[in-house]
Amino acid sequence: MNVRAPVADELFSRRELLLRGGAGFGALALSGLLARDNALAKAARPSFVQPHFAPRAKRVIFLFMEGGPSHIDLFDPKPLLNKLAGQRMPQSFKRPITAMGETESPLLASPRTWKRHGQSGAWVSDWLPHTAGCVDDLAVIRSCWTNGINHSGGVCQMNTGQPLAGRPCLGSWVNYGLGTENENLPAFVVMTDTKSTPTNGPRNWSAGFMPAAYQGIRLNQGAEPFRHLNTPKGVTPETHRRKLELLRRLNERHRATRGHQSELEARIRSYELAYRMQAAAPEAVDLSRETEATRQLYGFGNKDTEPFGRCCLLARRMVERGVRFVQIYHGAGSKWDSHSKMEANHSRQCLQSDLPTAGLLKDLKSRGLLEETLVIWGGEFGRTPMSEKGDGRDHNPTGFTMWMAGGGVRGGQVIGATDELGLWATKDRLHVHDLHATVLHLLGIHNLDLIYHYKGRPENPTINEGEAYKEITMG
Amino acid sequence: MSEKSLFINILSCNPKPSAWPSGGWFFTNKGGIFAGMIQRLAILWVLLGGPVFAAEFTQADRDWWAFQPVRQAAMPTEGGGWAVNAIDHFIARKLTVHELSPAPAADRRTLIRRVCLDLTGLPPAPEQITSFLDDDSPDAYEKLIDRLLDSPRYGERQATLWLDLVRYADSDGYKSDHYRPEAWRYRDYVIRSFNTNKPYDRFVREQLAGDEIDPGNRDALIATMFLRHWIYEYNQRDVETQWRDILADVTNVTGDVLLGMGLQCARCHDHKFDPIPQRDYYRIQAFFAPLLPRDSMPVGTVPQRSKFFRKHKAWAAATGDIRRQLDAIEQPALLKNTTGEGFGKFIDKIKTMIRKRPEDRTAYQRQIAELSERQFGVEPAKLPERLMGASKAEWERLRSELKEFEAQKPRPLPQVKFVVSDAGPVAPATRIPKKGDVVEPGFLSILDPGPARITPPQAALQSTGRRTALAWWITDPDNPLMSRVMVNRLWQQHFGRGLAANTSDFGKLGEPPTHPELLDWLAARFVADGWSLKKMHRLIVTSATYRQASTNEQSERADPANTWFARAPIRRLGAEQVRDGLLAVSGELDLESGGEGVAADKSNRRSVYRKVMRNSPNEVMHTFDMPDHISHMPQRNVTTTATQSLLLLNSEWTRQRAAALAKRLAKRHPGNAGAKIVDAHELAFGQAPLPSQLNDALAFLDACGAANKPPGLAALTEYCHVLMNANAFLYVD
Repeated sequence: MNVRAPVADELFSRRELLLRGGAGFGALALSGLLARDNALAKAARPSFVQPHFAPRAKRVIFLFMEGGPSHIDLFDPKPLLNKLAGQRMPQSFKRPITAMGETESPLLASPRTWKRHGQSGAWVSDWLPHTAGCVDDLAVIRSCWTNGINHSGGVCQMNTGQPLAGRPCLGSWVNYGLGTENENLPAFVVMTDTKSTPTNGPRNWSAGFMPAAYQGIRLNQGAEPFRHLNTPKGVTPETHRRKLELLRRLNERHRATRGHQSELEARIRSYELAYRMQAAAPEAVDLSRETEATRQLYGFGNKDTEPFGRCCLLARRMVERGVRFVQIYHGAGSKWDSHSKMEANHSRQCLQSDLPTAGLLKDLKSRGLLEETLVIWGGEFGRTPMSEKGDGRDHNPTGFTMWMAGGGVRGGQVIGATDELGLWATKDRLHVHDLHATVLHLLGIHNLDLIYHYKGRPENPTINEGEAYKEITMG
Repeated sequence: MSEKSLFINILSCNPKPSAWPSGGWFFTNKGGIFAGMIQRLAILWVLLGGPVFAAEFTQADRDWWAFQPVRQAAMPTEGGGWAVNAIDHFIARKLTVHELSPAPAADRRTLIRRVCLDLTGLPPAPEQITSFLDDDSPDAYEKLIDRLLDSPRYGERQATLWLDLVRYADSDGYKSDHYRPEAWRYRDYVIRSFNTNKPYDRFVREQLAGDEIDPGNRDALIATMFLRHWIYEYNQRDVETQWRDILADVTNVTGDVLLGMGLQCARCHDHKFDPIPQRDYYRIQAFFAPLLPRDSMPVGTVPQRSKFFRKHKAWAAATGDIRRQLDAIEQPALLKNTTGEGFGKFIDKIKTMIRKRPEDRTAYQRQIAELSERQFGVEPAKLPERLMGASKAEWERLRSELKEFEAQKPRPLPQVKFVVSDAGPVAPATRIPKKGDVVEPGFLSILDPGPARITPPQAALQSTGRRTALAWWITDPDNPLMSRVMVNRLWQQHFGRGLAANTSDFGKLGEPPTHPELLDWLAARFVADGWSLKKMHRLIVTSATYRQASTNEQSERADPANTWFARAPIRRLGAEQVRDGLLAVSGELDLESGGEGVAADKSNRRSVYRKVMRNSPNEVMHTFDMPDHISHMPQRNVTTTATQSLLLLNSEWTRQRAAALAKRLAKRHPGNAGAKIVDAHELAFGQAPLPSQLNDALAFLDACGAANKPPGLAALTEYCHVLMNANAFLYVD
């Protein structure tokens, strides 16, 4: 099915566009777009609320392991690494530029116990026992690669497609392309497992050159899930209502003397929407409504697993209510970064994230949500086979592992490969642009046809590159 | 090499022999006999000295409106009786064609609020409104304009628009987002330039090449920070890639801001829509190829710099041997113990460049080595403890020997930081990636296909003169782009949309101008008026077109997008106007000018003086569509979101403004609720309340007062808070 619309006859009027849903979080008017009505018409029309073709996935949960998990200690076993441990990498391996310059340091063995799991028999190390139990739902992509060699560029690229700041992130593109299914909640929600800020801060979920309405909205735990949602202290509900009524009268009068002004109408509606959100959000984040069994599944009651577990459970509640794109940072602030003491670092990170991740997959599956919810796991890059500071590993952008599950992905498959040491992706290499194109493909969006005009230039999510790895689907 | 690029190499007189045809070229036959023949004839033509023409452009390319010379057409006759100045005659002609009539003139209250916000970024104070309403002289409005243009607030407002274009910020924009302690001097330079009405061409030349054009003028050096606002990653070990990205950023922003041409498409391939071959991208980039970021740059006139240069040269010659020996001892010891990110993490190629003595480096090596050296520090003070034995004795001997020449050393000139110069008088080669062809500096070849003529400046400046050549070409009155681009930006500022809607893209992806003759007339007038921005603002805001009311039923129906300007647009306040406006209304705005930036949430100074930290923008401003200042922003997004409503309704910051306004009113009108309400409306909206609004307000105060303790001030605060959320405050018409 191809529902990309013809252009001219379907051009919506100014007013229609304003009143459509799916123009970003609570966005009722985007006159930045409207001012360029003609430019908009000339482009292949942005597909507000309409995919280009039948989607497999309707929603995305992106579990971002921030700091760079070690693929060669988790999903991509390398027997040669242990054989050559302590030696320099053979000259036959091309030298990359690495963040810490560790190209000639001795190779570091992986002391993990590796086993094949599930019916598919995919390899997972003993650091991820719970994820291993879900391996038949995963498509493990061992051949990811990126350009950013540092955290900042790497995280930026995994979100926006390029290491240099300034572009909209994937969640914003999805928000722009598909909008939300629930007007009272943001289409794109971001959480962090701790109060730490991820590398680059809110820039990671920013809409870049697109209107801010497409950016991710931070979901906070506690009394005020979204910023400024609660009425200020000291203002009674009665006073609040009275103020909104007085405001409405002022605005109605202001509009009445100004002829047809849809932007002014939109502003009036934005206050109505704010009011409805104040009512809807607290229910959406109320975890006390979950059963004890569900809470157990996500690792509640254990100080190691509960923080990330809460995020995962909130993510499920969000996608259940029509939120389009949820991103959770585990290890916010580069906690997976293990330049030294790999063993202690990854033991901790895996302990915190493994059980809730598996819990999320199981919960989504048992509720029938996994079929339409794409779950993505991975960091900004992997780690080098070369050691750093004796017992750590440097950043490895040239080859690393991510996995996807649900949302039409065929589980139990391994895609691509790295070389014998896990340094360079060699087979079926998937650049970040390809990964993003794949995500968009599953959502029914063709990556090069999702256009936003910036400075008169047609921009797309993968910067004129990227090809979806279509074999990832059920077929 | 393809035949096409071979052809171009010859056409553009590429001096690199490998770019030239090898033996037998004349007899090979690729791409058809006829085409091949024509190509060869063309090559022969060039070889025989015929005039060079660029072969790649079609007639349609050459006919594109933006590349035509600016032509000042005769003023139309339409609009008699209504027109105030030439602008109105051009507008009237199109109105006649489209059978539209202009809106009636806006009332004085509406007009003063509009023009105050446009020119100074602040709503008018009630006293300003009263004095304008009371002035019944025929030129009351013109006098108001002159007062506003003379106000220091004018430069502050215009600067906010310029800073969007040049992606100004006070921080690096990467992971650590390091603060840039010197950047604010550029912001003050911009404000100063606008307030003193510096001719726009001079303003542009200073920013591109102030170090070459006027090296003794501190302001002209600060202006070159225009070339420093790129994002920067302090620990990027892939130094050469980072440098390439910096040069690309500088090239792109120059094209966007000054030429109104999106060049970046041509970084990797010929532009798909506009006649900008990839080669042109690198011809323009070549002007910046010798660029060197400088954090200590001497301020000195050419004679001062020459004197210093001569003395320094003599000293360097006399001490050359000593210093070479000293370096041989010091450098290994210094690089062994480095601070910061350290020396050891670079690849060998970079290490070799760093190890090279500064005076032995090529320009490119200097660029890369100095960019790398920003990542680590050395500790010369610790040398005495780190050197041992014979080498230490030798080191001490050489040091004292060097000291004897101290008197010959010239006294250092005063310095400025965070600016640029060239890396030396010889520019590094600019090559087209993957193709490897060396490119010499040149302009957009559709306008000027030949190589740029470059005059090196005095030797003392150690500069190539390339950026000066670019600056003069861009600001040449015959360049059809710069004047059009700037007057179009001013038009956008006052009417919400440019005469050409894409203010930074005059190419085929942008929209052609709705009023090409008016655009040209304004561009020519701008140049004729000595590139005076104030005169241009004055011309625009005194036009009858600008002074129209925002309602015009006929135009709203027949021309909803207001393409023909038969009414004033209704516009939402920009981010600075929202924040500054709320502070002005509450009486808290601190009008102190200039100096280092302040945290916007902890200060009541104007938003233009806030620290622009790229990774942590001010919440109020970000919510109201403040751009990120990572890349060029020619036209801000304007969104209407529930997030904005929640912020205005519930945030502590807005509540504090409401409380301050309530206190201000209580002080100005003790005990008189009616007067408070009238004053509040005047302050927030520039209008008096209607009788029904006064009644609503009194009823609201009564009801809230009964519910709140203590009554009075608390209720008044809630009332003020409502006004600060109202469309009559947030929009201007």
